[in-house]
Amino acid sequence: MLLIHCPYCEETLPEAEFAYAGEAHIARPADPSTLSDEEWRDFLFIRTNARGTHFERWRHIHGCGRFFNAARDTVSDRFLTTYKAGKARPDLSAVKEAAE
Amino acid sequence: MSRYRITGRGRVDHGATVSFTFDGKTYQGLRGDTVASALLANGVHLMGRSFKYHRPRGVVTAGSEEPNALIGTTRGPGRFEPNTRATVQELRKGLVTESQNKWPRLSFDLGAINDRAYMLFSAGFYYKTFMWPKSFWDKVYEPFIRNAAGLGKSPTEVDPDRYASRNLHTDLLIVGGGAAGIAAALVAARSGARVVLVDENPEMGGALLSDPAVKIEGQGAWAWLDDKLSELRALGVRLMTRTTAIGYYHQNFVALCERLTDHLDTPPANAPRERMWHVRANQVVLAQGALEKPLVYDGNDRPGVMLAGAAQTYLNRYGVRVGDNVAVLTSHDSAYHAAFDLADAGSRIAAVIDTRRDIRTDLLDAAKQRGIEVLRGHSATGTKGRLRIKSVRVNPVQGDKVGASREISCDALLMSGGWTPSLHLFSHTKGSLSWDADSNTFLPDRKTEACHIAGAGRGLWGYAAVLEDGVKAGLAAVEALSRTAQPRDLPVENDRPGTGVSHTELPTDRSPGKAKAFVDYQNDVTAKDLRLAVREGMRSIEHVKRYTTNGMATDQGKMSNINGLMIAADALAKQPPQVGLTTFRPPYTPTSFGAFAGYLRGETFQLTRKTPIDPWAEAHGAVFEPVAQWRRAWYFPKAGEDMHAAVARECRATRASAGIFDASTLGKIEVAGPDAVEFMNRMYTNPWTRLAAGRCRYGLLLGEDGFIRDDGVIGRLSDDLFHVTTTTGGAARVLNMMEDYLQTEWPDLNVWLTSTTEQWATVALNGPNARKVLEPLVEGLDLSDDRFPHMSVAECTVAGLPARLFRLSFTGELGFEINVPARHGLKLWEALMESGRAHDICPYGTETMHVLRAEKGYIIVGQDTDGTVTPQDAGLTWAIGQKKPDFVGKRSLSRPDIVGKGRKQLVGLLTEDGSQLEEGAQIVLDPHQSLPMKMVGHVTSSYASATLGHPIAMAVIEGGHDRMGEVVHVPMPDGVRRARVTSTVFYDPEGARLKA
Amino acid sequence: MNTQKHDFTAAPVQIEELAPAARFSLRVRPDGRAALAQALGLDLPGGIGDRTADGGREALCLGPDEWLILAPEAAPLAKAAASVYADAPHSLTEISDREITLRLSGPQVLDLLASCCPRDVEAMPEGRGCRTVYDSATVTLWRDGPTEFRMDVWRSFLPHVLGLMALTKAELQAGL
Repeated sequence: MLLIHCPYCEETLPEAEFAYAGEAHIARPADPSTLSDEEWRDFLFIRTNARGTHFERWRHIHGCGRFFNAARDTVSDRFLTTYKAGKARPDLSAVKEAAE
Repeated sequence: MSRYRITGRGRVDHGATVSFTFDGKTYQGLRGDTVASALLANGVHLMGRSFKYHRPRGVVTAGSEEPNALIGTTRGPGRFEPNTRATVQELRKGLVTESQNKWPRLSFDLGAINDRAYMLFSAGFYYKTFMWPKSFWDKVYEPFIRNAAGLGKSPTEVDPDRYASRNLHTDLLIVGGGAAGIAAALVAARSGARVVLVDENPEMGGALLSDPAVKIEGQGAWAWLDDKLSELRALGVRLMTRTTAIGYYHQNFVALCERLTDHLDTPPANAPRERMWHVRANQVVLAQGALEKPLVYDGNDRPGVMLAGAAQTYLNRYGVRVGDNVAVLTSHDSAYHAAFDLADAGSRIAAVIDTRRDIRTDLLDAAKQRGIEVLRGHSATGTKGRLRIKSVRVNPVQGDKVGASREISCDALLMSGGWTPSLHLFSHTKGSLSWDADSNTFLPDRKTEACHIAGAGRGLWGYAAVLEDGVKAGLAAVEALSRTAQPRDLPVENDRPGTGVSHTELPTDRSPGKAKAFVDYQNDVTAKDLRLAVREGMRSIEHVKRYTTNGMATDQGKMSNINGLMIAADALAKQPPQVGLTTFRPPYTPTSFGAFAGYLRGETFQLTRKTPIDPWAEAHGAVFEPVAQWRRAWYFPKAGEDMHAAVARECRATRASAGIFDASTLGKIEVAGPDAVEFMNRMYTNPWTRLAAGRCRYGLLLGEDGFIRDDGVIGRLSDDLFHVTTTTGGAARVLNMMEDYLQTEWPDLNVWLTSTTEQWATVALNGPNARKVLEPLVEGLDLSDDRFPHMSVAECTVAGLPARLFRLSFTGELGFEINVPARHGLKLWEALMESGRAHDICPYGTETMHVLRAEKGYIIVGQDTDGTVTPQDAGLTWAIGQKKPDFVGKRSLSRPDIVGKGRKQLVGLLTEDGSQLEEGAQIVLDPHQSLPMKMVGHVTSSYASATLGHPIAMAVIEGGHDRMGEVVHVPMPDGVRRARVTSTVFYDPEGARLKA
Repeated sequence: MNTQKHDFTAAPVQIEELAPAARFSLRVRPDGRAALAQALGLDLPGGIGDRTADGGREALCLGPDEWLILAPEAAPLAKAAASVYADAPHSLTEISDREITLRLSGPQVLDLLASCCPRDVEAMPEGRGCRTVYDSATVTLWRDGPTEFRMDVWRSFLPHVLGLMALTKAELQAGL
């Protein structure tokens, strides 16, 4: 069981309080009707499936209820950082260095 | 007391005898004994038969790594456990134990024929033997394998014990209460950190319990232990004995299994047998020590052959001499201390047979003083004795030459092939290991977790070195906790340092191919098997392991892995690290299913949600069915009725007059705020802007992929407030999906969502007389059709209760859904039942609800849809707000694959012969085509309709909407059914009854 | 935490069901918080897990825009909030019947909670609260004292939670 830092509660809490919510930074297009079938397909189905750093969403579903973003290493299962929904991808070089 | 027990010696209570039985014979042991130590005290070495060859086996260890002495234990009625290690099970009054893998009895076993056929049962035996003919599988091979397979007997009764679990958060968890662990705890406890120290044994102390002559800080080892454990207790350290760290997971999550009652004569009432601890530690110190390795030579498994360290433990901890005339075979200094302690306790030491030529002079001197013969540079090449060792054959070895043999009589043979650091937990973390060529073993290398490894667990030997290392680990942990601690000097006298060498099979003058030199005792794997595996092409240790089953027994190769690796590497002419080590996995030792299950069994196995009206249904004989997490009333049979009769009656009663149904499980979400209508427009397919307050509408929710996710009736209570209902199973999922869009896509919308599923109890009232039943109870609302038409919602008072009243129908009849605060749900139900008596009101369950809705062609999301059905497929195009610029899933509805021909579409089906179809049955167009037939769809719903007098069905069929009137075929085991494609609406297609 | 043997005349834990009170879920954006606080006569704490109490009303901050409000009576509170809706749009949803509140107390109440709560409840300061899980049920936990808690459990989950608590209580009474 992982420990996850909720950026809203500012607490590191057991995974049992959280739910995984798929890849992060896939914004719904403002006007889907303008997208070609291929673009819409990519939005719907095409995901990174990263080996290594993966940007993903979690929800503190049994806590504050907020969706937030995380960078997690899919090989080590280690969270590099978590950050609030709507924030840009963080620069991970400093985080990774600290984790080395 | 037996002559093998030394009165007054050891940590057992010589004043308290405990009787127990082994294979039907009663024995006396002492309080503090294990079954193994008590049997040894009675001169019993033979404790079982081996798994494959049924060879007689004695105990080889004194700890949880024991591969041989696996016994069945009975701790009272229903409390039988197979494969208990005799070295771990403590004596308790009346304990009944039995040996395993024997028939008819331990001393004479017919299965031992396998041993004679040893040459046949080599590595890969099963793979090679049971290949062909294929027809032999069912009748010959499988019964044979099933009969022979399995370790011990499975219990046949339900486990009557309780099991518990507990979460524990701590700053520092120390695994292993030996010298290193205690030293680490002593340092850390003074820093103010929360410290937990666990050990799998009944008492803390580790090897110190077997080495009382060692002195620490000027005190005897045992006095020092008492002192330090009191000190730790006083400092608030949580000391947990009989507690095994079974698994080490991410982020210092460690699972501990604590054994609470197996050792007690009479456990307290309701006490759990075991408790699983889920520990979250900031820092972990692994101080698990090292496990002694056997040496590999012909006959190294005879009863009476055991590890030297085990014999030392039996002597010093339990006061038991393992034999009168003991030979010692070693490649490590540590075995000398076992020999000396036993000699000093009155056993004769037949000889110390050392594989090495160069031996420390102090050891040689000490042997000489005791008159012990030391044979240097010798090998063991065989043993004799049927049920107990009688002699060992030894030969001098000079370079490659093995000299003439000599028989040495003995009744016990102690062996030591050196020590393997116990790195199992460290391996669970995927910490990497590095091969240490000097000690021929793996040592911990790169760590992935916040842990520190101390003592013999990282290859150190001797108490001074181990204690110093424990202090260091404690300091490192404290520093990582950003606390401070003082170093501590723990001087040692009479220390027992030592070194040794490692071997593959010991050299022999006999044919090595005939030697039964065991590497893995529990799975009966010999050195010959390992070499054969390599000859037959296995290159990786993972393949060798699986081919030979070396290290695959319940002890996970605690004693065999390194010996196996050394032999495989030798056969491959490679260095051991190039061959690799197999992965250790949790649990560290076999763990009961009960401990894993904890509280989650019986009544508390799984969450069962019940509605406020559930007690009424139970009292009135309802049959229940599980729906999502809920239990729902399925139907209400009257005396003598089966399900079919009950459902038919409930359907007829509802269509004829009035039926009442508990709909409390429906999901309910309050959507509130100035942007509520905008949010609803974006989420649901339907248009909401022009829905007036006080009206409701069927809402359809899609995924972004255009497939139906959920549906329900949604009422608009005011401009800014919607009461959304969802399917029972979809409640949490829909709220999560809505929150997702609201929080992450449209955070600018001023709208909020609150689950009110459990705020309201919901009763559905349906039938032509529904209004007559309800009207007398309603205050503040005119229920007439023109004032409160179909698809209306209002807040009013019903039966004196504040209510949200909907007029809607899931049956096709005049219908109402009354929501009242949940605590009053039962009161509302009873008031309606009372009011409905004059109208023969009939309570109905989920089955009748399904039939009535199917007669009307109303879909059930998840039954008539399966996550690949679009609104068009389901015939719900009317529910799409075509003029809306966007809603979730809209763009997908014009995807080429969604608008293309040949999609499976929802239709009705009526069989020509009037038979009822099976839900899930596949549909074909041409029943005469060759196999495999092309299946074009399947039946999604099928019921007997009492109202219509014949069965009805719904199905999804390719291009179904264009097949109206066509005949399709449903192949069933008893013949092909012909069915005509129809509309899904079987009853009152004009909807006249709704508007009554 | 104390798991040592204790005085058997005192139960290790007490589990009581409290009478229903008015309970609301309040959702409001930061810019409307002050107006709501004033209308409700109750400070709305800003940190998740923080609580306030005033005149029989209590507030617990559960999320960045979410408060749980307790009051002796529902109607006055709803009315007060409605009066500021135009200026401070919000959602005030009555959930008095959604949950049932347990009072948990006694010398071993932390052990009781540790049996099914994965969170470090011991480290939770007095006077705070949180939403968390008890086995598989979402609950709201209030710490009122060193060995005093309240737990709000969704109505239909209560039998399961109480069933588990009965097992743990029996286990604690056994003293092992």
